[in-house]
Amino acid sequence: MRIGEIIETMSTGFVAESFELNRPPALGSLVVAHVPANALPVPTAMELYAVVTYGRTVGLDPSRRAVRRSTDNVFDQEIYQEHPELQRTLRTEFGASLVGFITDGLIRQHLPSQPPPLHFSVQTASVEGVRRFTDRLQYLRLLLPAQATSGHGAGGSQVSLLQVLAANVRQVYEQRGKDRAWLDTAAREIATLLKSDHEALLTVLYAIEPVDSHAPSDAGEAA
Amino acid sequence: MPLKLGPISEQVDDLAKTWVDLSLTQKDLLEQAQDCLRTVDREALRFKLQQHMRQQMRFPWLLAMPSYSSPALPTKGLSGSFPAPSLPSDFCVVGTDASCIAPDRHVSVRYYVLNVGYALLTYGSQPDAVLEASSHFCFRDEDLYVFPEELEVPIEGALLGARMEVESLRVLLEVVPDTSKPAVALRDGPLTLWTLQNESDEVQHAVLRDFLDAMAFLRQAGVPLAGYISYTGSRDVANSLRMWLCPGQPGECARCETDNHDLCLALAKIRDRDLFAFLPKGQRSELFGSSSQILERYAEHRVDFFYLNIGQEIVRVEVPRWVASNPDLLALVHAVLCDQCRRSPGFPPYPPALLEAHEQAVVTSSERRLVDEMVEQALGRHGQPIIRSGKDDSKRRRAL
Repeated sequence: MRIGEIIETMSTGFVAESFELNRPPALGSLVVAHVPANALPVPTAMELYAVVTYGRTVGLDPSRRAVRRSTDNVFDQEIYQEHPELQRTLRTEFGASLVGFITDGLIRQHLPSQPPPLHFSVQTASVEGVRRFTDRLQYLRLLLPAQATSGHGAGGSQVSLLQVLAANVRQVYEQRGKDRAWLDTAAREIATLLKSDHEALLTVLYAIEPVDSHAPSDAGEAA
Repeated sequence: MPLKLGPISEQVDDLAKTWVDLSLTQKDLLEQAQDCLRTVDREALRFKLQQHMRQQMRFPWLLAMPSYSSPALPTKGLSGSFPAPSLPSDFCVVGTDASCIAPDRHVSVRYYVLNVGYALLTYGSQPDAVLEASSHFCFRDEDLYVFPEELEVPIEGALLGARMEVESLRVLLEVVPDTSKPAVALRDGPLTLWTLQNESDEVQHAVLRDFLDAMAFLRQAGVPLAGYISYTGSRDVANSLRMWLCPGQPGECARCETDNHDLCLALAKIRDRDLFAFLPKGQRSELFGSSSQILERYAEHRVDFFYLNIGQEIVRVEVPRWVASNPDLLALVHAVLCDQCRRSPGFPPYPPALLEAHEQAVVTSSERRLVDEMVEQALGRHGQPIIRSGKDDSKRRRAL
């Protein structure tokens, strides 16, 4: 499903404008840019995979700041009914870090030779695509050193890359049907990547622990 | 830095020391003026103004003609106020605003660019917004001259301003929705093209033709048109009160010895926005006719106006007579303007339809440069280098 259009592109990732206001794709989710053969100086078609590193909603014109619109009677979603022009004066954008691509049926988990073309579409990765791409976990390495699109663009968000990494693992775990074996493998891969930084490792491990793992202790606390 | 900010700063300070806001410092005079507004005899004033207008071709001040008495109006005075009527549940507002890249006489090729921004906002069960601009590159003789066959009367200065107004109305026609929903068309600024007043009859006729045609179309479509003037500097009503007080010939104030002399002089400094500061929020004044001479050419589209308290500001709203004389259309304009100001993100409020139209209309300095470069490159491709005056060229080079 097409969810946005690339409005800034670079070798490490891209920024896309979301088609729906206030609805960027989930943090850490995989998105895809389909690039047909010869659209870039590459003879074969490519599916470029990227992990969403931030989402934000701001004024379309950077020189116009959003101001408070709510009143006692009009707030939240009703504000958009009361001020239909907001649908045209605000925009939601998201950044994504490139983590690999599929070309000629082969999955490559490294940066592509070319960034995706400006103004091309961004799509959500299909469940099957996520499953295929994440069978291997080398792509997680690209999330750590990448200086992320999170730093690009005016006022780009400063989402911690550790949180992006953890969010990706959570998303993929869910999309793979709560594949516990995959989660354990991912956790081990991350432990290897962060072996020299114990605090960072704990940050990620706490953040990828499945919600259902909390249930017994939460119940215990409640008791 | 060539601008000497030092001396300017001292003069700015002098301004602050000497500035007198009449509405704040001379409340007693303002109250007297408002009292006069409450007690003036409407019909007698109408008669007096009509008499003077018949006698004199050009009047020293712009005047406001009170509307005819009606059961809705107080028998005495011009201080009637009317609360905002209720709004339809579904309605549209179309706002337009225009800007331009003016022709440059220092360049060998003559052109200008008109950019009309518009906002079509739909409220109610299916809210929606269309924000767009209509841009025109004008370079043909019919664009550059009022009389293209003779290459006479170039469109520049006040005439370019009038052309922008005409273009704004033309775009309104294109944008006005073809729906059964009630709709109001808003223009930023007056509907009275008073800048044409000093032009010849032929020029006035040529420029106004399209403007009035557009008004006629809106009338046919049942879409009321209104010109919205924020922070109005008009004194039409105050001038009419001066006329009311004046026992002799207006303009011979030096020889005046009446008891009302002080009040009359105070009225000369009072603006209508201060005079109507008593209007409760959301309420409008009664309607007035304008004495602007150019309106003689407007026929059934002759402009009337009222003042409206939109909260923290008294604005002037101009409407064609076919709106002023139709209670339903007038009520729709009044209700929609109050609603627009209620929805305004700023304070004092300003209608969002006009705010967004303005945002679409603005031409930035980089866009101006871009158009310049496009023209220069296009001419170059056709082997016709652009020639600039020495003055323009040296200003661009700024050589050391």
